[in-house]
Formats: sequence, C-alpha cells, structure tokens
Amino acid sequence: MTTTSPTVARRRPSGRGSKAAPGRSKAGAAVTRPGFAWAVPATLFFVLFAVLPLVLVAVLSFTDWNGLGSPTFSGLDNWRALIHDHTMIQSLWLSVLITVLGVVVQTPLSILLGVWAAGKQRNRAILSAVYFIPLLLSATAVSVLWRALLDPNFGVPAQAKWLFGNGNLLGEQKGAIGVLVFVGAWQYTPFHTLIYQGATRAIPPVLYQAASLDGAGMVRQFFHITLPQLRNTMITSMILMVVGGLTTFDTVLILTQGGPGTDTTISAYYMYQQAFKSFDFGGGSAIALVLVVIATIISLVVVRVSGYDRMRSTSEGV
Amino acid sequence: MKKRAWLPRAVAGGVTLMLGLSLAACGGSSSSNGSGTFHVLVYGDASNKVEKQIVDTFNKTSKVKAVMDTIPGADYQQKLQTIINTKQAPDVFFNWGGGSIQPFVKAGLLMPLDSMIAKDPGLKSNFLPSVFNGAVVDGKSYGIPMRGTQPVLLFNNQKVLKDAGISSPPATWNDLLNDVKILKAKGKTPIALGGGDKWTTQMWFEYLYDRVAGPGLFEKALSGDKSAWDSAASREALSDLKQLIDAGAFGSNYDSVKYTDGGSVALVATGKAGFELMGSWYYSQQQQDHPDFAKSGLGYSAFPSVPGGKGDQNDIVGNTNNYYSVLKKTKYPDAVASFLKLMYSDEFVKAQLAIGNLPTTTNTPQFLSTSADPAYEQYQYDLVKKAPSFQLSWDQSYPPAAQTGIYTAVQEFADGKLDADGFIKAMQALPTS
Repeated sequence: MTTTSPTVARRRPSGRGSKAAPGRSKAGAAVTRPGFAWAVPATLFFVLFAVLPLVLVAVLSFTDWNGLGSPTFSGLDNWRALIHDHTMIQSLWLSVLITVLGVVVQTPLSILLGVWAAGKQRNRAILSAVYFIPLLLSATAVSVLWRALLDPNFGVPAQAKWLFGNGNLLGEQKGAIGVLVFVGAWQYTPFHTLIYQGATRAIPPVLYQAASLDGAGMVRQFFHITLPQLRNTMITSMILMVVGGLTTFDTVLILTQGGPGTDTTISAYYMYQQAFKSFDFGGGSAIALVLVVIATIISLVVVRVSGYDRMRSTSEGV
Repeated sequence: MKKRAWLPRAVAGGVTLMLGLSLAACGGSSSSNGSGTFHVLVYGDASNKVEKQIVDTFNKTSKVKAVMDTIPGADYQQKLQTIINTKQAPDVFFNWGGGSIQPFVKAGLLMPLDSMIAKDPGLKSNFLPSVFNGAVVDGKSYGIPMRGTQPVLLFNNQKVLKDAGISSPPATWNDLLNDVKILKAKGKTPIALGGGDKWTTQMWFEYLYDRVAGPGLFEKALSGDKSAWDSAASREALSDLKQLIDAGAFGSNYDSVKYTDGGSVALVATGKAGFELMGSWYYSQQQQDHPDFAKSGLGYSAFPSVPGGKGDQNDIVGNTNNYYSVLKKTKYPDAVASFLKLMYSDEFVKAQLAIGNLPTTTNTPQFLSTSADPAYEQYQYDLVKKAPSFQLSWDQSYPPAAQTGIYTAVQEFADGKLDADGFIKAMQALPTS
C-alpha cells in the first residue's frame, strides 16, 4: 500500500499534464465551446415539458373538450367567446392592477428596509433575519394564516373597528384587492429587501466618504448616491415583481377564490377556473395562450426599455 | 417573485392534458385491472373505514375480489373526470348523483342499473325513494346510495334565542323575519352566513325557491327550459330573499366570513349569532370545534314554511346521499351487483350509524338507537322519509361546468351587485347539459 499510493499520486498529474501540454490552444478552444450534445438533455427537457405542452394547449384552444372522450374541433368558438367575455377582459385589468399595486407598495418599502439593513450593526443582522421569515413560508400557508387573521368577527378587524369598520374586507372589491396586495407584499418584501441590502453593501464606501467631505447629509447621500447606484438592482427587482404579480395565483385561490363575485378573478385564476373547475379545457387553453402572449410582450418590453439586455456594471471606473 | 410562474403551470396543465389524451386513446379497449378483481373508487375521508369494512366482507365470500382505491381531498371530481375514460378507470365509483354523473352518462360511460334491479328489486325497494331518485338520469337509475343523507337544517343557539325571548324556532317565513328583527335589536347577528364559501349562500336560494315555487321550477330549469327562471314565482322567491338580506339578517360582512374555516360556526357557538342554515354535518362540526356547545346549546329545526308558496313545507334540500355508480365496461357486472347488495345490509347500516352517518335504507330505523345521538338521527330520518321532495344542491344538480356560474350569481345577488333581472339572466346562461 505504502509503495503504490505515491506512484499513483505521481502518475495522475503527470498524465493530465502530458495530455494538455502539447495542444493547449486547440484543446482550450474545444472546452470553451462545448458541442451541441451538451445541450441535449436540457433541450429535450424543455421541448418535452415546455414546447410540446404549449403546442398542445394551442391545439386544444381550438377544440371543445371536457376531459371525457376526445376533443372535438370547434374552430374559433373559444376565441370568439373569449373576446366577448367580460370576465376575461376584467381579469386582465385586475392582473395589471395587482401587479402595479404590488410594485408601487413593495419597491419603496424594500428599498428603505434594504438600505437600512445594509448597516453593519448586529441588531440589524438579527432583525433582517426576522424580516426574512415570511419568505420561507409557503404562499398557501401564508394565505391561510391571513385568511384567519382577517376574520371580521374573531380576527384583527374585530379588535380594530376604528380602522376596518365592519371588517368586510374580503366582501368588497377594494378590500379584497387590498388584502391580496398586502399579503403579497408581506411575503415578498423581505426578498426584495435582501436584494437591495446586498446591492447597497456593494456601493463603494469611497463615494459616501467623498460626499460627506463635501458636506452632504444622510438624506442627500441617499438620493444622490444610494438611489442612483441601486438603479440596476431596482430594474431586476421590479422585473421579478412584475412576473410575480402577473402570476399571482395561490393567494387568490385561498383568500378570495376570485370573489366577491368575479371581483378578484385575475387571469391566471380564471384559466384554472375554466379548465379545472368548469372542465372547459378548450376555453382554459385559450386563456392560457393569451397569458403566454401577454407575458412574452411584457418581458420583451421590460428588457428593451430597461436596457436589461445591455446592462453594464455601475462600478466600472470607480 | 412567486414560486408558481404561469409558464410552468401552463406546462403542467398541458402535460396533464397530453397524458389525458394519450390515456384516453388507450382507454375503452379493455378494463383489465388484473384477473378476478374489480376496483371501487371512493372519496378519501373519515368514512372510508366503513367502505373498507364492506369491501372486506364482500371479499370473504366472493370469488371475484373488490379492491378499494381512494382519492383524498376536495379534488375528487377533477381527478375522477381525468381518469374515468382511461384504462385506469375504476369499475365502481363514489359520486353525488345528479349533475355530478350526468356528463358521464352523456358520454355513454355508465351502466344503467335497471336490469340489475330487475334481477334483485331489493336494490331499489330497500332505499327511501326520494334518495334513490337522486341518481336517476333521463329516467334510468345509475346509482345505489352508499353513505349517509345530509339534509339542510336551520340550526340555532338555544341560549341566544331564549335570552331574546324567542320561545321556539321559526315555523313560518314571517316568524323568521320577526326573529331577525328581535335579534338585531339585541345587537346579535341574526343569522350566521359564511358567504365566502358561496355554496352556503346557495342554500338560502334552494329553500326559498322550493317553498315559494315548489320543486318543479328548478326541475324545469334544469331540464333546459330557461323560461322557468323568469317566472313570477322565481321573482317572488328572489324578492323574499332580498327582503331578508335587507332586513340585516346576515349582518353586513358575511362575504368575508367562511363556514369552511370555522368562522360562521364560531359565530353561533359563541352566541354572537342566533341561526345558521347548514347541512346535517353541522352537528359533528360543532362537536369537533365546540363540544360543550354541541352538547347543551345547539338546536335545530326544519326550514320555515312560506305562506302562499306552492312548495310543501316538508320538502328538504341538501345532499341526498352519495352513490356508487358502475362503469359500462366492467368485466364483472354480476360480482358488482352482489357487492351493491351489501349497501342495504344490516352490517352496513350499523357501521354507518356508528360513525355518525345516516343511511337511507328502509331498515335504518331499527338500528337508530345504536347511533351516537339517536334523537338527532331519528329527527333527520323522519324528515327525509316524509319529504315529498328532496332537492339535491343546485351545484350538484347542474353539471360541473355550471358551478362557477351559480356561485357567482348567488353571491352577487346577495351582495346587491345583481338585481333580480341580473340573477335571472345569469341562471339562464348556465349550461344544462
């Protein structure tokens, strides 16, 4: 044993070296540009679980199918119905509204919290850890929790009548949307806070030192150094918020079921309702396709407008 | 950043559909679930121990064995619909009768049980007729009752009523309106309503339509005659309900309250509300959530009569029962027939009563004394037995595709967002087949 192991150890590096040494430039080029074979597993996976179902959904949107028997071709019926469907048009507006409200509420909160938490004091580290907890809970559990907390007779509203009146939060459109936005913010603000905290810490301290030499106070430093330096982070965070807002589903499913009436029936929930509650898979597929198209447009616009595609480091040249 | 993005979900949906398609393609060829066994699919919950016991009893004597499978949770109907036309389809399955099996009947998947009943008339005559008829579609029988009946009753908090000087539960609609006025003056919510669940609000519609117009109106509407919704009786039922809502019977925040998370249950148990209209399972729910109140303070009565209405005051609404239906392609119709015969056996009745279900067989009364609460079970049994009509819940009578439409309509009418015309229009828009 003692005699063989050194030789093995010695042979390994020499073997590797001897192969790599002669044609380093050639071998190196091959390594940096891996062949198509490397992409096969991911591509297969993507085709099987993303492209193929998407195509099937597109096909289904032209059929009438309740899950029993075979789909029957129905031409443009589903699409014609969708165009005149008041609930569908309303659901798109609701999705946009909830997204915009989510961004408007969460962005200032998470910037302030993130900048504050970027300080090095120990109490901030502890509090930041506490703030992070909501993100670790499942969205479903969070919704169930808030559903119980907001019960008008036994929850928070019953104890704070001056604020909530009769507590009919989920029985009115404004209240229900407010609850959805609030619960979303409660759960996801910590995540964005974390992003801003990291970004703030990455701002070179020299900038602040120079600013204070020039006599800039806290507020001035925040608006003239911190915020501009966080620009790219804001774009990242907002894109995530937009994606999150447009795909809100669990909170609606648990908290409002699209109600009262159809007042919070957002597009994603409406799709689920049509396909899996009403067993109208054709109609549900049509909604799904609309969502695919809209989300694609939005992501293209966001990437173009924000300059996300040609984003440069702000630390350059510092 | 939400965990569920639309794309993965759409994809998951797509895959489900794809699987469904490919399975549907294989389905129909045969239902070879192994040799000499047939599969019984049941909604997975606490009642399963009785179903398991009956399956075991059956297997003791039968050469062809029954295998019981369960689908847990509230997604039963969704999952059933996905597999029923595939190779994985069961031979016998649990359902709610009415609209819940109608799409399967239309698709030609179910076996009419009339020839089985011709061979053994007991399969029909041993059940209460109003319940047995719950699984009759287009004049043919498709289901055998296999659990307990669940009529909707008007429950009350006896202490709250007594303190308000109300001596007995309301017998007529005017009594109810009067009680509402008294309770409201006392600062109580007269009637607890978990409007967030929507099917809870629906129960009020079901009873009022029955009392005012008789069971015929809904039957007519369900059969496709949409003019029924626009009749004078329909409008009268709606205006009665409107009157109750406007009188403040349910308070003002009922749409934020739910039955399913215990909100409305607690309102009654803690004495903040006087009444609640709910299915007979309410009793065991109170026993579980508020045992002391269930023992000493929970009262119950039938829905009040509406003077001048066409409906019989003994009519009831609710879940008539659950049923076993049989797939046409089963290989063992004879074995299935003898399995179904166990649904009126003494053993079945005793086992159901022991876990608090009320079977609807004609031999049930002899065993009522063995149940956990004989007085309550006897009351329900008599109610069901003497009921000229037992209307299955609207959301179960209509095909599943109509459910969302019904829920939205009843909630928006109760909110005042729809007037009578709007409600009538919404109900007329429902798919009936």
